[in-house]
Amino acid sequence: MRLIKSGCRGLSRFVILLGCCLFPLIWPAPDAAAGQEIVIGEINPRSGHLAKHGAEIHEGILYAVEEANSRGGLGGYPLRLISRDDQSKPEVAINQAQNLIHREKVVGLLGGYVDSLVGPISELAAKYRVPYVASASLQRSLTARKNPYFFRVSRLDGLVRPLCQFTAQAMKAKRVAILHTATPGSAEFAASVKSCLEKAGVAVPLLEKFRPGCPDFSVFLLKVRQAKVDVLISGGFYADNLILVRQMQEGPLGLRAFVAPWGVAYQSFIAEMGRGAEGLFGTCAWSPGITLPGTERASQTFVEGFRQRFGQVPNTTTMHGYTSARALLAAIDAVLTTGVKPTGEAISQALRQLDLSLPMERLKFDEYGDPRFYQQVVVQIQGRQMVPVYPLERATGQVDESLARR
Amino acid sequence: MWVWVQILISSLSLGSFYALVALGFSLILGITQAFNLAHGDLIILSGYLAFALWKFYQVPFFWTLPVCLLAMPLVLLPLQMLLRQVKEPYGLNTLVVTFGIALLLQNAMLVVFSADYRLIRPELPHYTFPELPLTFTLNQATLLVLSLAATGLVHLVLRRTFLGKALRATIEDREAAQLAGINVKQMGLVAFGLGGLLIGLAGPLYGQNMYLYPAAGTEATLIAIVITIFAGLGRSRGILLGGWLLGLAESVAALTLGIRWRELVSAAVLLILLYFKPQGISSAREG
Repeated sequence: MRLIKSGCRGLSRFVILLGCCLFPLIWPAPDAAAGQEIVIGEINPRSGHLAKHGAEIHEGILYAVEEANSRGGLGGYPLRLISRDDQSKPEVAINQAQNLIHREKVVGLLGGYVDSLVGPISELAAKYRVPYVASASLQRSLTARKNPYFFRVSRLDGLVRPLCQFTAQAMKAKRVAILHTATPGSAEFAASVKSCLEKAGVAVPLLEKFRPGCPDFSVFLLKVRQAKVDVLISGGFYADNLILVRQMQEGPLGLRAFVAPWGVAYQSFIAEMGRGAEGLFGTCAWSPGITLPGTERASQTFVEGFRQRFGQVPNTTTMHGYTSARALLAAIDAVLTTGVKPTGEAISQALRQLDLSLPMERLKFDEYGDPRFYQQVVVQIQGRQMVPVYPLERATGQVDESLARR
Repeated sequence: MWVWVQILISSLSLGSFYALVALGFSLILGITQAFNLAHGDLIILSGYLAFALWKFYQVPFFWTLPVCLLAMPLVLLPLQMLLRQVKEPYGLNTLVVTFGIALLLQNAMLVVFSADYRLIRPELPHYTFPELPLTFTLNQATLLVLSLAATGLVHLVLRRTFLGKALRATIEDREAAQLAGINVKQMGLVAFGLGGLLIGLAGPLYGQNMYLYPAAGTEATLIAIVITIFAGLGRSRGILLGGWLLGLAESVAALTLGIRWRELVSAAVLLILLYFKPQGISSAREG
């Protein structure tokens, strides 16, 4: 009898334990169709070494969600954004994505900065059929496999082509040095630029990789001086360029130009570097005053609204966050308009058919999930302002070569 | 030839800074046996203090140094009081407590200073030698002189004063020092005071030579741990030598192999050293 009693007790404990474990799985998820709210997940580096960029993307996404809610939400349902911090670590990004998918039952994912953080989330998106629109991602292999649930608002070619053409055609460089970080996107960027420049007849005698957060570039700059190059292209991030540019000021290098796609075209970089930023070249997809032709009014409205909400001017990274959120929201809205339940598959299908004209780009995804029309412009810092100088159809000023020399 | 001279200049200035970052950590660890994982974050806090003074109150960079120098020992005082309450196993428990403090500091700095990268950018002159392909900046000179002065002073205190003898005795054998009548608790207070001064000096220099952001302390703590293992506990000359060797190894690796090999070569040098001289490079001379 005692044996049966203890057996029953053990069984009931087991059932309770099993119930506790299964509770999150069997409890019905908040469902838009059930008349509650639409839950969207966002994963960004909000702490750690990429926190600055994560915070910028987060503000862009948050602004887009608040903007949609102020218009009554989507299809009459309010939106709820759940933001998670990946601490600039891939393993944390995976945990956060799993939590958002399984526990919070999000209908879509947003955010991400650098491919080492975006890549693992894109795998989970495919596995659990949850659409993920990455805010900042470049690595070609992430979209090459045609992951039907992964989309992004930037692409490598939109960066490499204008930069390569500017260096070879506008600057007429003969010898170029390239420095890049040991991250997948930056490494691929460097290889693509090198290949493009060499095809254009430009020699690349120096190509070096470094770990982000390197405290000293003086030896590398010594090699740049010895290599007698015209142009130095840096694939380093914002913070790396702060050190690099400061150390470049310590002695003449014989450079005609310094170009950095990440980091230079930011007002905060110009403010930090002061006169040291004058003449440098950067690239950006959007900035207040640098917008896709035809979207000037929308761009201005965004800048003013953002300034009122956050007390600061948005930058190109913020706009990447905003654009990715606008894409996902537009797709959800399209699904709800047809009266279909917003499942991952339906939203992904809607994302593939999307065609939006936004300040950063005309957003239409190709069959790989890459944006068809993403293209950055080359800007030069002149008088503490970013002046678009390339491509010519978007240039508002001319290259000042004397200012560019280092 | 001149390339190597230039490399030597860069390595010595960078290595001296590494030594400055490590010296406070090594003293605190040696004397109190507290493994202070918040060391780097305290350096960053000191850097932010200097940045705030320089940026918002237009205090000249060199005047931020004495302010930070005086402020940081006051910040370390409550830390020392807290760590005195930690029970055995002391080393492991201090590791856990200071890890928590490091996280707390990082988040506090994130709230107060945001995640933006901050740079202290004093307008310091550069000296180029017209006849030679060499550049020597006042920045490098500042790092070299201040680090040498700080290390030299700590060395003098440790070697030429009665207090220094007591400190060294505490590092060598805490129990024996206590039996000999040395108040090891007071020595702990002195260690945190000295450590605070060194942290106060390192912070503004960190902001001037690298960049400040809330999570940057982790890297500074790592530098401190590596150099301390390199040199041995509380050995000021060894720490300076360790800093220079590390700086030189990184620079030579960057020149000959490429900049991506910097960290790997440093790690390899450290492992080789640990294998052949586990007590640190200066153990035979100073020990």
